[in-house]
Amino acid sequence: MTQARMLALLKRPLSIAILAILVLLAGGELLSPGFASPRQIVTLLTIAALLGVVAAGQNLVILGGREGIDLSVGGIISFAAFLAGNVMQQQDAYLLQAVGTVLLATFCIGLVTGLGVTWLRIPPLVMTLGMLGVVQGGLVLLTRGVPSGRAAPMLSRIVSEPLLLGLPGILFIWILIGVVLTLVLRRTTFGLNVYAIGTNEAAAALAGVPVRLTRTLLFALSGLFAGLTGILLLGYTEYVFIGAGDQYMLPSIIAVVIGGTSLAGGSGGYIGTMAGAIVLILLQSILTTLNIPPFGRQIVFGVTLLGLMLLYGRQRRLRG
Amino acid sequence: MPILEASGIRKQFGGVVALAGADFSLDAGAVHALIGSNGCGKSTLCKIIAGSVAADAGTIRLDGNPVSFSDPQEAAAAGIGVFYQELSLVRPMTVAENIYLGREPRMRTGLLDRDALRSQAENALEQFRSVIGTGVHPDARVADLSADQSQLIEILKVLAANPRIIILDEATAALDRNQVDAVFHRIRALKADGCAIIFITHRMDEVFEIADRVTVMRNGLTVLSQPIGQTSHDEIVAAMVGDVMPPARRERKHVPAQETALEVEQLSAAKLAGVSFKARRGEILGLGGLHGQGQSALLRALFGALPLKAGSIQVDGKRLAPKGPRTVMRRSIAYVSGDRARHGVMAIRPIFENLVISLLSRERRVVVQTERLERETRPFIERLKLKFSSLQATVAELSGGNQQKVVLARWLATHPSVLLLDDPTKGIDIQTKEDLYSTMDELCSQGVCILLHSSDDEELLGISDRVLVFNGGRIVAELTGEQRNRQALYEAAYATAPAAA
Ligand SMILES: Nc1ncnc2c1ncn2[C@@H]1O[C@H](COP(=O)(O)OP(=O)(O)O)[C@@H](O)[C@H]1O
Ligand SMILES: [Mg+2]
Repeated sequence: MTQARMLALLKRPLSIAILAILVLLAGGELLSPGFASPRQIVTLLTIAALLGVVAAGQNLVILGGREGIDLSVGGIISFAAFLAGNVMQQQDAYLLQAVGTVLLATFCIGLVTGLGVTWLRIPPLVMTLGMLGVVQGGLVLLTRGVPSGRAAPMLSRIVSEPLLLGLPGILFIWILIGVVLTLVLRRTTFGLNVYAIGTNEAAAALAGVPVRLTRTLLFALSGLFAGLTGILLLGYTEYVFIGAGDQYMLPSIIAVVIGGTSLAGGSGGYIGTMAGAIVLILLQSILTTLNIPPFGRQIVFGVTLLGLMLLYGRQRRLRG
Repeated sequence: MPILEASGIRKQFGGVVALAGADFSLDAGAVHALIGSNGCGKSTLCKIIAGSVAADAGTIRLDGNPVSFSDPQEAAAAGIGVFYQELSLVRPMTVAENIYLGREPRMRTGLLDRDALRSQAENALEQFRSVIGTGVHPDARVADLSADQSQLIEILKVLAANPRIIILDEATAALDRNQVDAVFHRIRALKADGCAIIFITHRMDEVFEIADRVTVMRNGLTVLSQPIGQTSHDEIVAAMVGDVMPPARRERKHVPAQETALEVEQLSAAKLAGVSFKARRGEILGLGGLHGQGQSALLRALFGALPLKAGSIQVDGKRLAPKGPRTVMRRSIAYVSGDRARHGVMAIRPIFENLVISLLSRERRVVVQTERLERETRPFIERLKLKFSSLQATVAELSGGNQQKVVLARWLATHPSVLLLDDPTKGIDIQTKEDLYSTMDELCSQGVCILLHSSDDEELLGISDRVLVFNGGRIVAELTGEQRNRQALYEAAYATAPAAA
């Protein structure tokens, strides 16, 4: 392949991600036959959907720039799962109420984070880390370390049982989020404002973009998506676990980066992030197949992130 | 024998001739003022003397011996210290680290001696203690200092090297009177010690107060050099202006209407000290003067991008409270900055998004109706002769001039009745300038009121109906009719600034 064509390929992170998905599937199948069977793929997609939904919020915050990042998502997911489990108490009748309560609560948590970042000008890294501490601490206070709450049967069915074409409801929810978010980013004033503030905040403000409002909303939405993930995770695990969401923080960021969204903000989109989430889940699954312990996976994830940063950093230099 | 002598210095940057054979001579124990309008080559001359820019031709003699410094370190070793107009401070580092950068006190082990560094810096700061204001201590980060404090720190940094030739390039630009006094006090002491000082300023009163000799530059040449006692304010201004030629005035198709579009009374803000004026519909009102005398500040304050301290604004007879760009734009006011990269474009985003962003905000619609928006912006794209491959191409792919057209088209699409232009032609090509001028003319004939700040005096005098001259945050002159010439502009711009309130 010529260098120019390779470069052209490098410029499209989405195509790299799709290529990676195919390679990982083939690799997995080689290592352990049955890895790429339809049933197994559906399971993997279900897990990817959970990651994909948190990553949606992470994606928005990162697109908004000014070192936008949300480290509180893990805590919020755990909190959301706990709250959902305790409101619905295994009863379908309380499901809607539980969903509403959780989404409202997590949206508000994100709102507070957003206000801290915009009005108090606290760097996102610090603000979301602080919020993570508050949420985790609050959760310990509420549960006293003893988890409680269980999923409503309907919720578990939505997440794990086939709904249509052999696919579980959660995948349709994910696709819906994908379509809506992509339309919002590309076809609404809010979406254009997000890209504008992520690219050049000062210029955006002078062009009449409501910079603070937009950025505050991004963090609120990130809270909301983390909340939704918490609900879906409860459906997947059925029981509430303490710290169930902790494992999502780093992967949600990596999925966004694999998907081609720049950590500097202002460029990228959600379709790439969806592909990124699938890549990451495949990678994780292969590592599990290889009997790599969890800390080994963490290392691989960390190295993947650093490798991608190097690759994209280099690409930017080549472009500039 | 002069301690430093530069002769026949030439320097060209691309097509721009910065120095066209400048001569300059400096005596020991003397303060030599260097004065001239923006862009005449003062800073370039200093940088050549200091070894940070290489001359194309000419010789520099130090104590009579020809020298040619290939970098600033060599010049520093020869005893030349420079206060750079753009400052040379490392913003994330502390005050103490900056002052002694490269000459930090070391312990016997070779490690940095923090305590000594701190106490030396404390001593150095002492001389400006009464004027430097609060928050300045050896461990303060330079990034947290204000403009005047940073300038004083840069001065200390220059002096810390004990130079015998000191170049101060607009070192007093951001200082208030008390701070200038403190600096002058120090300069007199240095002079008594036999140091030679090149002092660049735009303030005429400072020249007469501190200088022993003055040299005037114009268009890359040194056109006058006199002992201070043998020259006058008028002679200096005349030398700066040169042969007074009437500026080439652009044919204007339209005569301004009588209706007032904008009325400003006693506006005060940072860098603005009580500004009042009226602007009419269909008028181009120029804002001129030396760099940073309140022209930009006024436009930004009107647009809500700079908080007001006092004053009132009326647009079409109704009060305007500029809380922020969003409230102001709703009153049909638009602002275009010449600093495209920072305050104009979203470079990595498509041209389309850059064009419609303000219209979307103005209309407060949720959905982006691509076709309708393209239809509404097209006339302005055509009017401005914007050249592009596709509306989906990023703005970064455009030339500077075309980027500026994108920003202007963005605002024209909102149909403004008052247009604030903040040095809009900075660094753009002649053809684009022509396109902007003719568009401005057309807007005027539609009754738009334009406030134009320009750092290009020819442009300002050539296309404005009236010119307000700013000096020290105030309007010190209004030039109309035949008064719109360089002579009158410089007279007002270089006059002693009225004491700030
Ligand atoms: N590094 C540079 N690249 C291109 N042009 C430059 C550069 N430095 C100065 N110039 C140009 O040279 C001229 C003289 O600039 P300068 O010496 O900074 O003037 P002054 O200090 O008198 O305002 C100006 O036209 C300026 O635009
Ligand atoms: Mg200069």
